[in-house]
Amino acid sequence: MNFANVTLGQYIPTGSFIHRLDPRAKFFSLMFIVTALFPAHNVLELGIWIVILFALVRASKISWPSLLRSAKPVMFLVIFTFAFNIISMSFTNSFYNALSHALFMSSRLFILMLFAIMLPLTTAALELADGLDALLHPLERFKFPVHECSMMIAMALRFIPLLMQETDKIIRAQLSRGARLDQGNIFKRAMAFIPVLIPLFVIIFRRADEIAVAMEARGYNGGEGRTRRKPLAWKFKDTCAVVLSAIISGVLVFII
Amino acid sequence: MLKKKNRNRNDTPLIDVQSVSFSYDAKHTGRALNRVSFFVTRGERIAILGHNGSGKSTLVKILGGLQSPTEGKCLIKGNDIQTMNFRELRGTIGMVFQDPENQIVAAMVEDDVAFAPENQGLPSNEIQERVASSIERVNMTHKRDSAVYALSGGEKQRVALAGALAAKVECLILDEATAMLDPKGRIDVENALRELHSEGMTIIQVTHQIEADNFDDIQRVIVLSHGQIIWEGSTSEFWNNAEGLGFKIPDELKAHKYFAEHNINFPDDLAYIKPKTLTHFHRDNTTEKFRIENLSFMYDEMNSYVLRNINAKIYGGEWLSVIGRTGSGKSTLIQHLNALYKVQEGKIYFDGTEIPQKGEEVHSLRQKVGLVFQHPEDQLFSPTVRDELAFAPKNAGFKNHELNDAILYGLECVSLPRDFLKRNPIALSGGERRLVAIASVLSAKPDCIVLDEPLAGLDASYQKKLLFMLSKLRNEGKTVITISHDLNMALNFSDRILMLGDGTVIQEGTPHEVLEGIMNTLEPEAWPDVLRLSSEIRKVNKNFPLLYNYEDFISLIS
Repeated sequence: MNFANVTLGQYIPTGSFIHRLDPRAKFFSLMFIVTALFPAHNVLELGIWIVILFALVRASKISWPSLLRSAKPVMFLVIFTFAFNIISMSFTNSFYNALSHALFMSSRLFILMLFAIMLPLTTAALELADGLDALLHPLERFKFPVHECSMMIAMALRFIPLLMQETDKIIRAQLSRGARLDQGNIFKRAMAFIPVLIPLFVIIFRRADEIAVAMEARGYNGGEGRTRRKPLAWKFKDTCAVVLSAIISGVLVFII
Repeated sequence: MLKKKNRNRNDTPLIDVQSVSFSYDAKHTGRALNRVSFFVTRGERIAILGHNGSGKSTLVKILGGLQSPTEGKCLIKGNDIQTMNFRELRGTIGMVFQDPENQIVAAMVEDDVAFAPENQGLPSNEIQERVASSIERVNMTHKRDSAVYALSGGEKQRVALAGALAAKVECLILDEATAMLDPKGRIDVENALRELHSEGMTIIQVTHQIEADNFDDIQRVIVLSHGQIIWEGSTSEFWNNAEGLGFKIPDELKAHKYFAEHNINFPDDLAYIKPKTLTHFHRDNTTEKFRIENLSFMYDEMNSYVLRNINAKIYGGEWLSVIGRTGSGKSTLIQHLNALYKVQEGKIYFDGTEIPQKGEEVHSLRQKVGLVFQHPEDQLFSPTVRDELAFAPKNAGFKNHELNDAILYGLECVSLPRDFLKRNPIALSGGERRLVAIASVLSAKPDCIVLDEPLAGLDASYQKKLLFMLSKLRNEGKTVITISHDLNMALNFSDRILMLGDGTVIQEGTPHEVLEGIMNTLEPEAWPDVLRLSSEIRKVNKNFPLLYNYEDFISLIS
């Protein structure tokens, strides 16, 4: 049990071509990829996506171990998909069919998640927020707090590793006091986590409060009148990236 | 009247606090601040000193316009802070807080420093300019493209400083800004502050102790106690009164005062002094509590060792201090002692038998070896102090009157009165919470207690209490192990010292035996004052011994 190293989509600066793309371009491309990958139904299609993923990871200069580590927290979904499919299919099909189907479904989900995780890995949290802000801007007409929401997401991403470290530290401290976190039935185990959860919430609220004060002290007063050091600038390469992913997705969906 | 003042800009104090009071409850019964008045002129560097709970954090918030006073006024350049334009206020006063993690909003250094000018709505080329110059002013240009998570505490705090400077502020308010840093980080931040002050920046430093390395740069001291200003004066006057006000005087300052009083020209007059031999108190260490043999450790995802081939002994009934820079492996080592980390390579023996790695034996080991983490008050979770103290002994299987005894024992160890048992830990003061947290580990009646930075963030009076408490536990036969950056504590209070560096043992021995190791591995600013002074004398007098204790030092030269 080591929470300190859970990274869940933490930005990895490598300064690659992918990192320098406009966050909106990355959003659009991801949208195309996800819509095309979701209905993928044969092994060939999946194979091509895997090749594309390898190329993308290569271009981003992010190492595979760090990408896989970031994907660790969502692995349970993949495992769940596998287990669910194998059980539900084995009633009506042969075991071999069920197995291959479950393998296909879970690996498709896994590839999809790896693509999705590439977005926060290659985009700094505040940049991501800027991108979201710009994309969701039309919603402001309906009084939707667009800036606040994107800032919230950015801040949450920024503080995930810190909260994981805190969780790890509290667990260690309570284990030192003899806490039995891994014994008994589910109910007992859940109760055993109270000594971890209460301090964690206290810390989260205190940090949130301190961060809010520190942001105000630096003149943050919502999105109004805020400018950017590097304003979002849509360049030719961004158009290329979006068009390229649209073409690839289109070809894979409609032709293969 | 106001107009006239504004015309002559330099006559108006930068900050003018007029009879400010503040209370957190609506009935104004308990006042966090009570009629506080003072002013700060341009280019001044002042320290506002106060113990935990003196109201200094509230004052910081009011000075920064983050909290409105219940009574009185706070003027910035003659304008009431309450009605002042938000942007103008934020462009005048910059703030740096204690925890660097809680002020840095972006993942990259430059993005973070840009946050304030972005909020000011500046064009991007000007933001860029300010970011570059602010980062340079805190000497972080070499790290401008770095990710924040890869920085040390001192570097992060300098980024926070740059983040405040980027708003082109005229005044910096620092709220315990160096309290969480290791000596190296503190020195770097201190040097940056010194430079900023010499360039004309007004600096207000709110803290519970003036550190030895910055006292000559601070011009004026204001002492706050129970929400009121109880003393105000120049820094040199402050040192004459410090002890009466409850603050520690750095040894170096005390020594120089002694030299002045006795007309000693330091260090030349001490070149021919023949030191008397000091008798070193030596404990007979016979019983071995822990024996660590060839212990190596690495984290799953990393390929480098955090601990490499550690060999050490810890004796029963001694106080052992583990010292070393941040990242030297101290925390990882002590978490092996109660099996929080599993032994990967090597062996650890506790009372002669190898420590268990799993199962019920681990629980009984954790009852015998109590571990108190850094800032243990963050781990309290119970509605009453009694429940908090009952947690560990209950887990260890104590029942009925045994449990009751254990709870009272824990409370007694930290010398808190019995009526505390009914109180809610959250409602206690910071120092009291620390004591309760330590008691909640001691209540399991461990043989051995391990503490990570037990004094961090406490004011002088609580530090004294804790040192007394730990000495008492040791004298009662318990084995005490502490990790600390505070070399004064390590040298003056513990029996032996284990010095780590880069995951290996640099030296193990009595305080006197490790002095050379300290000098070889740490920068002089981080040495204890007396060690620095005695090494100065040694340059002119080869026979002079290396010392760490102030009383020993004075008795040698007198």
